[in-house]
Amino acid sequence: MATAVNSTGVLPDTTPALEPILHYVSASLSYVYHSFLSIPGSSIVIRYVRSSYQNDPFRTVLEVILLLFALRTIFQSRTRADRSTKNYVQLSESEIDELVDDWIPEPLVTPLTPAEQAQLNALPIISGAAGPKPKLASTGKTVLNLASYNFAGLANNEHIKEQAVGALRKYGVGSCGPPGFYGTIDVHMQLEQDLANFLGTESAIIYSQAFSTASSVIPAFCKRGDIIVADRGVSFAIQKGIQISRSIVRWYDHNDLDSLEEVLIGVEKEMKKKRAPLTRRFIVTEGIFENDGQMVDLPKLIELKEKFKYRLLLDESISFGSVGRTGRGLTELYNVPATHIDMLLGSMATGLNAAGGFCAGSRVVTEHQRINGTSFVYSASMPALLAVGASEAIGVLRDNPGCLRELVENVRVVRGVLDRLECIEVPSHPASPLIHIYVRSGPSQGSTLEVPTLAARKGGKSKTTSLEPAEPVTFDIETEERLLQDVVDEALAQGVLISRVKRLRGQEASEPRPSIKLAVSAGLTRKEVEKAAGIIRAALLKVLGRRR
Amino acid sequence: HHVKGRQRSASIVTVEPVGGDSLEEVLDQNAYKNINSEWVNYKGAWVIHPVLIIIGKIMVDVIPGMHQDASWTIVNLSYLLISYIMFHWVTGIPFDPDSHGGAYDDLTLWEQIDEGAQYTPSKKWLICTPIALFLISTHYTHYNPWLFAINFTALLVVLFPKLPQLHRQRIRFLYRPGYTSGAATPAT
Repeated sequence: MATAVNSTGVLPDTTPALEPILHYVSASLSYVYHSFLSIPGSSIVIRYVRSSYQNDPFRTVLEVILLLFALRTIFQSRTRADRSTKNYVQLSESEIDELVDDWIPEPLVTPLTPAEQAQLNALPIISGAAGPKPKLASTGKTVLNLASYNFAGLANNEHIKEQAVGALRKYGVGSCGPPGFYGTIDVHMQLEQDLANFLGTESAIIYSQAFSTASSVIPAFCKRGDIIVADRGVSFAIQKGIQISRSIVRWYDHNDLDSLEEVLIGVEKEMKKKRAPLTRRFIVTEGIFENDGQMVDLPKLIELKEKFKYRLLLDESISFGSVGRTGRGLTELYNVPATHIDMLLGSMATGLNAAGGFCAGSRVVTEHQRINGTSFVYSASMPALLAVGASEAIGVLRDNPGCLRELVENVRVVRGVLDRLECIEVPSHPASPLIHIYVRSGPSQGSTLEVPTLAARKGGKSKTTSLEPAEPVTFDIETEERLLQDVVDEALAQGVLISRVKRLRGQEASEPRPSIKLAVSAGLTRKEVEKAAGIIRAALLKVLGRRR
Repeated sequence: HHVKGRQRSASIVTVEPVGGDSLEEVLDQNAYKNINSEWVNYKGAWVIHPVLIIIGKIMVDVIPGMHQDASWTIVNLSYLLISYIMFHWVTGIPFDPDSHGGAYDDLTLWEQIDEGAQYTPSKKWLICTPIALFLISTHYTHYNPWLFAINFTALLVVLFPKLPQLHRQRIRFLYRPGYTSGAATPAT
């Protein structure tokens, strides 16, 4: 590191001005070198660097660059994680103070809007047990109940009540735990066995709440990357289940099996083009749709499922316990073995007047849900008395097919009266005991519920990825709800208890049409049903006829 | 996925972002602690790197007739290969895959560490270890230009995906939109 300085201290051929600077630089460098030598271990470093050099400057340059890169990495400070950078808003202290001062806490319970207040006032209160002919608390009159689900007339059945009271005395009220953790009682296992035997499947699993059945079963089997082909008109519970499952969803037109076939072909093409790995595929639909009472064509559905190799998840919440000779549901009505359906969901709250829901299928299907069905694992199991009530109800249904014959008659009577009315539309299947009544849209719009002609359909192909159909039906929610509420009030004044369908507006993926829901019951005699149908018809004509 | 680069013809090289910040992804990732990426922060996981390298070097040196050049090259390349496969090739999580609902299926282990934060202590260690190994190996050998080039290129290939600019990006060659290779691994 010594610079060439001759004895006089002057560098040859340098200007006199630069001389002191160069002298200073060389002196400081040699000072640094000598002080570096005094650090212990510095000789090792010098020896290392010298032997690393190996007479190859290019390599040394690359290695020095690497070293500098490593040093830069070490001294760089840590950045924030992915999630926080997007949503992190940096506020100054004064801004925080301002926001805190401006904040007005919302009341714990917001005061009711006038519409909500009116709805609350219009709710009838029943004194005593609910049943086919309850007594109103306000007037003391007995009314005919077409609002509660009581299809087979099992409500207030004396035999079931006796057995349930016996179970109450034996087991107490609650079950004190989830089914997997001390919550399973022998009556639960008996009920599962009874359901499996009744339906003809290998086994069944019960859930304590009917709504959470669909939203637990679907995520138990459908995971991210799987494909679900679902009907556009499925109920809220199924929509939530599909959303939770994070699967790829393709929608087909409501209760339109040709559209389903198109979607299945489309999915096959799409997956082949993507050359994506083969994942599980499911068709999700309902037996009788809760939102409008239409019934699915089960044999054709099963034929499509076998052809395209999909698994079928059929939600028979409405059709179990109400359709078929002994109430076994769509499988009995269409004479199809229940083993053809991979997961058969049902509701014991609706069909058996007990509580909860179930999923029936093969043993593999039900055993999987004992660990992977979220509601089964994390919710308490149903009380023993309700399980006993459900088992007894199955026994009643199996042994007395007469009650369902009455139901069929009653449905026919009601449909005979309603179908003749011009002012309403009834989208439900003729055999469905759940009847929905829509307000018929004005003459300018025409009847929008007819199936669009083939030409119209081809013109407006619906996007399978969106929930909206190609030609969404337009309707004015507020007006129709008001009209229907008037009909309900008028019918109640005349002695028939019916109800509008109460929706969570803004929560459903596509807003369903306002409707009145009639749940025809075998607990009413034919004469009573005729009288009730007449009263409803009069109320409809009075309110909707006035509108024209 | 939004793909940068021309879409009409297959570009030779395109950069495609993976993963996402949608609410569902965030919820699924945060539901439980991701033990599959926490382990790199433990002390033992840091110490194991030099320990394994030393053991590997000893075992390779035991082979009769092994020159130092070859030995260091073998150790260097196998360390780089194994760490590349472990941190930058395999995606998804082996433990607890169902509790995260598939939110980590497209992310390599490097992208999962510390929830995607950059320049964390573990990441700094994992960047410095291969560099240190390379520098030590060049010190103790007399690489001919070919061996040096092989080692250096391998090091660059392994360092490249560790850059924060490549976080959750995949480099695809001759990529056509809608086409996936069928394997759930990044085709960098």
